Amino acid sequence: MSPGMSLYSVNAILILSSEDGSRIFTKYYNPPHQAANPGGAPAVQNPYPDKTAQTRFEKALLQKTAKQTGDILLFDNRIVLYKMESDVALYVVGGVDENEILLYNVLLALRDSLHLLFKQSVDKRTIVENYDLVSLAVDEICDDGVVLETDPTIIVQRCSKAPSQDVNLSRIDPFSEQGVNNLAQLGKAKLTDWLRQGL
Amino acid sequence: MSYGKKDEDADSGLVKIDRTQVFQEARLFNSSPIQPRRCRVLLTKIALLLYTGEKFPTTEATTLFFGISKLFQNKDASLRQMVHLVIKELANSAEDTIMVTSTIMKDTGGSTDSIYRPNAIRALCRIIDATTVQSIERVMKTAIVDKNPSVSSSALVSSYHLLPIARDVVKRWQSETQEAAASTKSSGGFSLGFSSSGNLPVNNSTMTQYHAIGLLYQMRMHDRMALVKMVQQFGAAGAVRNPAAIVMLVRLAAQLAEEDPQLRKPMMQLLDGWLRHKSEMVNFEAAKAICDMRDVSDAEVSQAVHVLQMFLSSPRAVTKFAALRILHTIASFKPHVVSVCNQDIEMLISNSNRSIATFAITTLLKTGNEASVDRLMKQISGFMSEITDEFKITIVEAIRTLCLKFPSKQAGMLQFLSGILRDEGGYEFKRAVVESMFDLIKFVPESKEEALAHLCEFIEDCEFTKLAVRILHLLGVEGPKTSQPTKYIRYIYNRVVLENAIVRAAAVTALAKFGVGQKDPEVKRSVEVLLTRCLDDVDDEVRDRAALNLRLMHEEDDELADRFVKNENMFSLPFFEQQLVEYVTSDDKSAFDTPFDISKIPVVTREQADAEDRTKKLTATTPSLKPPKAGPTKAAPSAAEAAASASAAAQKYAQELMQIPEMKEFGAVLKSSPLVELTEAETEYVVGVVKHIFKEHIVLQYEIKNTLPSTILENVSVVATPSEEDELEEVFIVQAEKLETDVPGKVYVAFRKVNGEGSLPISTFSNVLKFTSKEIDPTTNEPEESGYDDEYEVSDFDLAGSDYVIPTFASNFAHVWEQVGAQGEEAEETLQLSGVKSIAEATEQLAKALSLQPLEGTDVPVNQTTHTLKLLGKTVNGGRVVANVRMAYSSKTGVATKITVRSEEEGVAALVVASIA
Repeated sequence: MSPGMSLYSVNAILILSSEDGSRIFTKYYNPPHQAANPGGAPAVQNPYPDKTAQTRFEKALLQKTAKQTGDILLFDNRIVLYKMESDVALYVVGGVDENEILLYNVLLALRDSLHLLFKQSVDKRTIVENYDLVSLAVDEICDDGVVLETDPTIIVQRCSKAPSQDVNLSRIDPFSEQGVNNLAQLGKAKLTDWLRQGL
Repeated sequence: MSYGKKDEDADSGLVKIDRTQVFQEARLFNSSPIQPRRCRVLLTKIALLLYTGEKFPTTEATTLFFGISKLFQNKDASLRQMVHLVIKELANSAEDTIMVTSTIMKDTGGSTDSIYRPNAIRALCRIIDATTVQSIERVMKTAIVDKNPSVSSSALVSSYHLLPIARDVVKRWQSETQEAAASTKSSGGFSLGFSSSGNLPVNNSTMTQYHAIGLLYQMRMHDRMALVKMVQQFGAAGAVRNPAAIVMLVRLAAQLAEEDPQLRKPMMQLLDGWLRHKSEMVNFEAAKAICDMRDVSDAEVSQAVHVLQMFLSSPRAVTKFAALRILHTIASFKPHVVSVCNQDIEMLISNSNRSIATFAITTLLKTGNEASVDRLMKQISGFMSEITDEFKITIVEAIRTLCLKFPSKQAGMLQFLSGILRDEGGYEFKRAVVESMFDLIKFVPESKEEALAHLCEFIEDCEFTKLAVRILHLLGVEGPKTSQPTKYIRYIYNRVVLENAIVRAAAVTALAKFGVGQKDPEVKRSVEVLLTRCLDDVDDEVRDRAALNLRLMHEEDDELADRFVKNENMFSLPFFEQQLVEYVTSDDKSAFDTPFDISKIPVVTREQADAEDRTKKLTATTPSLKPPKAGPTKAAPSAAEAAASASAAAQKYAQELMQIPEMKEFGAVLKSSPLVELTEAETEYVVGVVKHIFKEHIVLQYEIKNTLPSTILENVSVVATPSEEDELEEVFIVQAEKLETDVPGKVYVAFRKVNGEGSLPISTFSNVLKFTSKEIDPTTNEPEESGYDDEYEVSDFDLAGSDYVIPTFASNFAHVWEQVGAQGEEAEETLQLSGVKSIAEATEQLAKALSLQPLEGTDVPVNQTTHTLKLLGKTVNGGRVVANVRMAYSSKTGVATKITVRSEEEGVAALVVASIA
């Protein structure tokens, strides 16, 4: 029953639309460099290698969890932790012998990071509009199946916001008043950016 | 902050981002100067495509990859972080990614303390290959011990990813990893001037320890001493603060205890301490590890159970689930330990989480006793209508097992089953219910009439042809034996009138079974009338069957009809299947010259088949959501497996025996005993014996293994001397020509029963192994020319009464008991089993020792102090043997038993009793 000493504990992190089951964010994890080493038997093999298998799994999973609240279920012989957030469904999928609480922490990290990032409600539109933040956050939570961090404040702190605006260099003309103003504005914007990210 | 223009025209659903369009836009990466904001939007689009399942073809991916690498010229940190992320995701599909190694390396350098440093490290390990890992060694080493936990974690995880391609290089980073694991630093984070004055929370993550321990294990995997040291060092209180890291230690401790029995005690102590750790994660892992431990004692498990019990009332579904899942596992091998939690588990039956409810029910059904069954059923039926078919099936199957376990509760269960049979439901669900009722009819005779009535009602309105056919068949088999067969005839004939051709045909056959051999002329006449009507059916199969059966009914001689319609014998199906498969898959073309010979398949009576079926169903662990595991079953394979392997073994033996020409004339094997070990497993020669009973002969099959290295045994034979030499006469010995080291060989010794085929000689055999031992020349690997003769004495064994008995099933014990008592003889014995620790153990051992089938669910003791075991079997000659064993248990003296055996044949009762005395 022991899942062994592998650090690869997460099979997939999914964010699906709970209305029509369409994909918003899906990441199935495979240990890197496994293919480069055909001699050694792959320690963890992702059971959903191609897109058809993945979408089939997602459809069935959504059907299973659509009307339920309960955070956890055994599905297709794996542990699935899930949370519904307005019109999206968050899933963390792990092996059947994995520690449930560890996976649950991953799910909570995902949910809470999204809440911290967006302040307002976590819904499909917000997620798509801030897709860069979401992908950075998930990347901070889990790196190819290894749980990287589960503390939402640290995760959020590690996601950089996009630069506020692009600089139009032609507008910075040191010989006109307008140009100096522009430069000052740019400096201010840069500074706030910098402060916010704590760099 | 919404900067995404792309969303403005999309109110719902994902924005339509097209791969080719994004690829076109990627020219932006080449424009100068770089516009970080627009580039980041574009990178986000690429990420979105990748994360929704789009794949870039290799050439496109490569172009993109190198386009993106131009962005390194820009210093914007937020752009750089995104660049690293996309590079990481593209590394798989793009080519020549190794070219950017040095660029990324710059970002991983120790001097920069920027936000993207961890991202750069992680991206770096994706693009690197085995040959260049060395070049990043210095970078990784510094990163691993970096004071920023994010950097350190990233470096550790990246090293972990690199293990498969560069284990040797990564191993050199051991001391750094050790340092990372041991550090309990809480500061770190961002040391740049004003960041500490800002209101940023300090990054004090301890996940680094988790990664470091995971990596350390991989490095020290083959060094047990180092692993033990690791557990002891980090297992000490306070050494490791991260719960996930302790989970790793728990697993490691369990693994060490499993591999080395010497370590079991200290590791158990550690595990026990972890049961009380403040993190749930650790508690669960420790509990899981304890109950997976080999030969775990009740006291050890109950510690874990106690902790889990507290979690059952937790408000969090996940906690309840995890606790229940472990309890469920424990319940399958130590139900009595879990039963203290029954109250708490019962609360969870109606939990809104189906997985939890299912586990609760299946656990209860394992731990439950007879008294709680009724309450349980009531609770279940309360919410049966609100759940899915799939879940209903699980419950129905659990209840079926329970029915067989507690036959006295059949009335309530039947009520329940018939209730849910009327509910809405798909085919699979109805099938499960109907099958459960079939089993009730088969194994719990009191329920037969009522169950049949429910089934009759069901087929009146059954939309599933398959089920209707099966029920009609059962009615045909069981109906004529009931007190009022006419009742069923009406139901069956209704089907003939109303149903489709397939059901009509089945109904005709069922109907015929009431008519053929019927003693009551009234019934016979009405069946005849009904069948005659069927002769006008539109379907020819129905007409054919009606005609055939009418003809059979008119036969004067009932024997023919009996053979056709009421045949109680059937082929031994597993054996039949094996033979057919062998025939079909045969490589040898000549095998197909002769047609398959069905007469070679042994025929078993329905009773025997039922007996096997029942044990299988009972021992098949209550359906659960998880596949069977190794674990506790390692020590004691489940009875079902044992039964399955036993029958497979019997077939194997039979086949091997048939290979020996001398034994062909003995006829078929009537019974093969299980293997009896005659030596310890560690001796020079390991010997075991299997006793085969034939009609007039007894064959002892010795399984011998030579464990001495570099010796070879030749002309191995066994001198087996029975104590009763006048009853058994040796016929021949088949020697083993040659026994190489660790290659098992077989020696057969055949005896003839002097007193003819009916006699059942019992005897004690003394055995001496005789052989020529030769040493193997180490230079040539050939055995030396000359050897020396040697003898080796092994323990004696008994050929006892139980060797002649085969377990048989019957549904009504009292009936058989009286029948046999009236004709046969009786023997009694009182025994004190001092070495046995519980009634359950005694029950199991006695049934095995006597080689009889427990009946009426008596193989599961209800009471812990007294129990009556009812057993039935048949001798190889066909006479029945029944046994009634009364047991009483006291902690001082063990189990006291009184065994009463009755048999139809003379002398058998005494023989059987003697076999355990």
